[in-house]
Amino acid sequence: MIVTEGLTKRYRKVNALADLSLTIRQGEVFGLLGPNGSGKTTTIRLLLGLLRPTSGHATVAGYDCWADSLQVRRLVSYLPGELRMPGSMSGFSLLRYLSDLRGGETLDRAVALAEQVMKLDLRRKVRTYSTGMKQKLALAQAFSDPVEILILDEPTSALDPSARAEVLQLVRQANRIHKQTVIFSGHVLSEVEEVSDRVAIMAEGRMLHLEDLHERRSLRLLLIRFTGEVPMDFPPELALTVRETREGGCLLLEHRGELGELLEWLNHQREQVVDLAIGTDDLKSLYEQYHQSKPAELEPTTR
Amino acid sequence: MTPFLALVRKHGRESRWLLGLTSLALFFLSWLTVVITVLTEAKLRRATSPGRGMRGLAFRAVEGRLSDLGSVAFEVAWWNHPFILVNVLLWAISRGSAGVSAEIERGTLDLTLSRPISRTTYLTSQILSALLGLAVLSSSLILGTVVSGYFNKVDSPPTLVMLARPALNLFGLGLAVYGFTLMCSAVDQVRWRPNLIGSVATLTSFVILVIANVPVLEDWKWIGNYSIFKAYDPVSAAVTGKDLGFHVLILVGIGVTGIVLALLGFARRDLPANS
Repeated sequence: MIVTEGLTKRYRKVNALADLSLTIRQGEVFGLLGPNGSGKTTTIRLLLGLLRPTSGHATVAGYDCWADSLQVRRLVSYLPGELRMPGSMSGFSLLRYLSDLRGGETLDRAVALAEQVMKLDLRRKVRTYSTGMKQKLALAQAFSDPVEILILDEPTSALDPSARAEVLQLVRQANRIHKQTVIFSGHVLSEVEEVSDRVAIMAEGRMLHLEDLHERRSLRLLLIRFTGEVPMDFPPELALTVRETREGGCLLLEHRGELGELLEWLNHQREQVVDLAIGTDDLKSLYEQYHQSKPAELEPTTR
Repeated sequence: MTPFLALVRKHGRESRWLLGLTSLALFFLSWLTVVITVLTEAKLRRATSPGRGMRGLAFRAVEGRLSDLGSVAFEVAWWNHPFILVNVLLWAISRGSAGVSAEIERGTLDLTLSRPISRTTYLTSQILSALLGLAVLSSSLILGTVVSGYFNKVDSPPTLVMLARPALNLFGLGLAVYGFTLMCSAVDQVRWRPNLIGSVATLTSFVILVIANVPVLEDWKWIGNYSIFKAYDPVSAAVTGKDLGFHVLILVGIGVTGIVLALLGFARRDLPANS
């Protein structure tokens, strides 16, 4: 659905985005993670044709994001990260304006979403709205657009916890019911993890890692203390890999295989295994692997 | 409503106060010019009445017979007054700078251009709104003169055509200033710079014409040819129409060149997020 190949944006000597190559599949929720200045917003602006790539290219449904930007924007609805709205308009006028820019078909749905789900008073001027209310208004429009792709740049940054939960629910609905492809850029790891199928971790304009969260959800971490010599090789069918060797005969292992086989193997090893802890791994630990180190020291990896 | 009309309506809504108040100011200023003309003509009649020994020489610089020209020449001579020019030029510069860079600066361009709107459509809607505004301002002067004429009887009331000619000249002047300000705005990302460039260029052009017309600076008369105000002569446009076509051509040429360069520059530029 969305393909970038060697996508690069350079401002004089600064690389805002360097050599980004990725494919976002139709119908998936794709998370973009990274600190400020990591290239998330630049990537989005390149996809929308607001920026011209220095090199490389991006396509959305086969349309070149720069040359056929208008076609691309017919397929995409975008929620900007730094949301600014004309304050002199009422909430209703703004929804009507945004709806008219797409042919006027989405107004009723946007109004219903804004009033009933987001609980907004659309008669009020936008300048009297709080930041969170403005974000809700823009979200109501974005979720109402009849498009194939939603690009949400930090969609929950100004929202209270209950509104955040509603937005995540809307993202899931957009994806599962309306079959929309969603790009979800954010800072809150738990939110990105909750809704995304895959996540790209970015820093300083580079994609450092691409993680499939379905696979990650099946990942178990085993902390095992052995007596005597610590084994470093395991039967391949167990899909066990060593993440870390610790002092005192301890190993931290990653397991991605079948649980039954693992339990059977552990049963056979009960003479050697002194202690055992089984847990899961969240996105935070993966993220920290990349953001506690300098990006230049890390090689891009893909899973 | 079509996307283009939605854009035009939004621009109109955002500039309605400036346009409304400026139009009102021009309407009453032109009303005032008629009042002044009536009073002046009464004074002239007294001065040139039999036995007073004076002749009507006030309009000898304007071609034609005094009886045909007097009123309109006096009325539209005021259209050279800074009060009137400032109103029209303020509109031209403010709408020119608002076209692109102001929208980038306040961050509202993202909201519009993330929708399926081409950059050409967006900028064309800005241009149309600005030109409609210029037309409204020019028409306010005609309207003020005509309406005031019903209440204040001048010696020779001007026809609509006579008033439309200097209004067209004024429209051309506004278009020229709008064009080069928009050109600056289309490639910038802050509003103050196109505002500054538009204002300084206009003021410089005005000063050049003033210098060219200072009698003691005879040797510098040639620099007046480089002022856009040289192509703005409302009295001549109203009275004879001579050179009006050429003047309008020059002014529209400058304006259209600026607009075309703005469209080209805007289509090729990056649109950064607001800072």
